[in-house]
Amino acid sequence: MFVVEGALVYSNLLALLSIGLTITYITTGVPNFAQGSFALFGSYTALTLLHTLKIHPYASVPLAFAVGGLAGVAVYALALKPLVKREASIVTLMIATLAVDLILLGIFGAYSDFLEGLTGKSAKKFIFTSYDFSIFGFKTILLFSTFAILLLLASLSALFYRTKFGIALRASMENPELAEVMGVNVARTRTFSWFLSGALASTAGCFLPFRQEIVPLTGSLIIVSIFAASIVGGITSIYGSVLGSYIVGFSESLLTFIISLAFGQILVYSRVISLIMMLIALVLAPKGLAGVVKKKWSIYS
Amino acid sequence: MLQIKGLNAGYRELHILFDVNATIDRGITAFLGPNGSGKSTLLKSIFGLTTIYSGKITYNGKDITGIPPHKKTRMGISYLPQVDNVFPNLSVRENLIIAGYTLEKSELKERIDAVLTIFPELERLMSRKAGVLSGGERQFLAIASSLIRNADVLMLDEPTAHLSAEVSSQVFSKIADLRDKLNLKIAIVEQNIHGVLEISDRANFMVGGRIVFSGKPQELLERLAPANE
Ligand SMILES: Nc1ncnc2c1ncn2[C@@H]1O[C@H](COP(=O)(O)OP(=O)(O)OP(=O)(O)O)[C@@H](O)[C@H]1O
Ligand SMILES: [Mg+2]
Repeated sequence: MFVVEGALVYSNLLALLSIGLTITYITTGVPNFAQGSFALFGSYTALTLLHTLKIHPYASVPLAFAVGGLAGVAVYALALKPLVKREASIVTLMIATLAVDLILLGIFGAYSDFLEGLTGKSAKKFIFTSYDFSIFGFKTILLFSTFAILLLLASLSALFYRTKFGIALRASMENPELAEVMGVNVARTRTFSWFLSGALASTAGCFLPFRQEIVPLTGSLIIVSIFAASIVGGITSIYGSVLGSYIVGFSESLLTFIISLAFGQILVYSRVISLIMMLIALVLAPKGLAGVVKKKWSIYS
Repeated sequence: MLQIKGLNAGYRELHILFDVNATIDRGITAFLGPNGSGKSTLLKSIFGLTTIYSGKITYNGKDITGIPPHKKTRMGISYLPQVDNVFPNLSVRENLIIAGYTLEKSELKERIDAVLTIFPELERLMSRKAGVLSGGERQFLAIASSLIRNADVLMLDEPTAHLSAEVSSQVFSKIADLRDKLNLKIAIVEQNIHGVLEISDRANFMVGGRIVFSGKPQELLERLAPANE
């Protein structure tokens, strides 16, 4: 049972991360390899508040959301927007985000040193499981992460289908030039999508230490699973990426568990499963699940 | 008044327009010419969707050359692109809402009702996705979209494409109506030379990215006549 619970938590967090990845990919064409590291903004925000002000990590979610959103906007504005403007190729954009990822890795490394010096507690390796509690026999992280993803899907659909700004967002995803012609400030909708993506990643990062140990490198490792989820889901469909997240999340958690029962400890290799799934998706269904069940799931294409 | 002075423009390194001078003033100004002569590129350049190497575009005396497109829309310049002029995955209603993005909510409702009286065909299609409309219906939606904003300058790139001869002439007379009632400054690019010259006040003819004729519609017709035999 605890394996399924863990798989669900993991999938929920993957969904938060891959929705963000998909949104910025649709709106700006940037495949963001730093998305995993964006999550660490949330992890470190929570850790900092916990160790300095004794604030419970769950109470840090709003601040993590804001910090991640601002980080997303900053990365977009400083590093990516100038490249997008120059119509840089997707390879250039990809390499730029890899560079951002390395820079973030350095920043989190330095920051964890600083935080250790300040609080005298470990910041290079931390986990929040001891701070979690149970409600009705369920781990709170399970309830909160599930609630977060449901809330997010409801708000996104309200935003996209009920508000003028949301229609403008969809319009600028579909045809940015025409959206501009209609008077939509596409630069602003793009900036907003990076805010949202960073904020969602950081929210996931705030929850992540309840499931696994965090080190500065965690972001660069988890990115494999995030991309796998997005690609299995079809990379251009938000709902597809949610579906992809549950498939990848459950496969990673359950398959590695089953294999480890048979062959002993190989949990380290769980990413291999994501990679294999990604390859299968690319070979068999390049448009992912959204391509297969297009009418039902894809809202944009 | 919209003025284009010494415009050189294109797509990145690909130079398409050479030293174009033109004026879009009250009334209808037609831009004609063979396929690929740069008519669409001219309208796109005015709107800021191409690379401009040199030259100047002024609107009521103000230099608007480097202003982003969405700001030009807010200044009262409305543009109907030749292709990709609707959002296929948005419903007809959503297309009209986005077309009126710059309007206040109450005004938007009014304007949608107004264009629906011009194109009553759209009324029953409101919740359909634009991508499934017929070519003609889609063109109605595109024209309606460009009319929703209360524009002062209207730039129409082949408004009668995909439309039957009968409907085309209705569209032309509606455009002439708009000019007469609202005193608009209208630029039209057209393949339907006779139809558009009938309602035009001025005409330009482009070849190879240059304007080779600029003058009265009647004069252009006479010059083109022998070539058309
Ligand atoms: N986005 C683009 N990138 C590169 N070249 C382009 C682009 N759009 C148009 N061109 C080129 O610019 C030239 C002028 O095209 P333009 O669309 O302005 O012609 P046009 O006069 O509108 O023709 P038509 O009557 O067929 O619509 C053509 O040679 C075309 O191939
Ligand atoms: Mg054209």
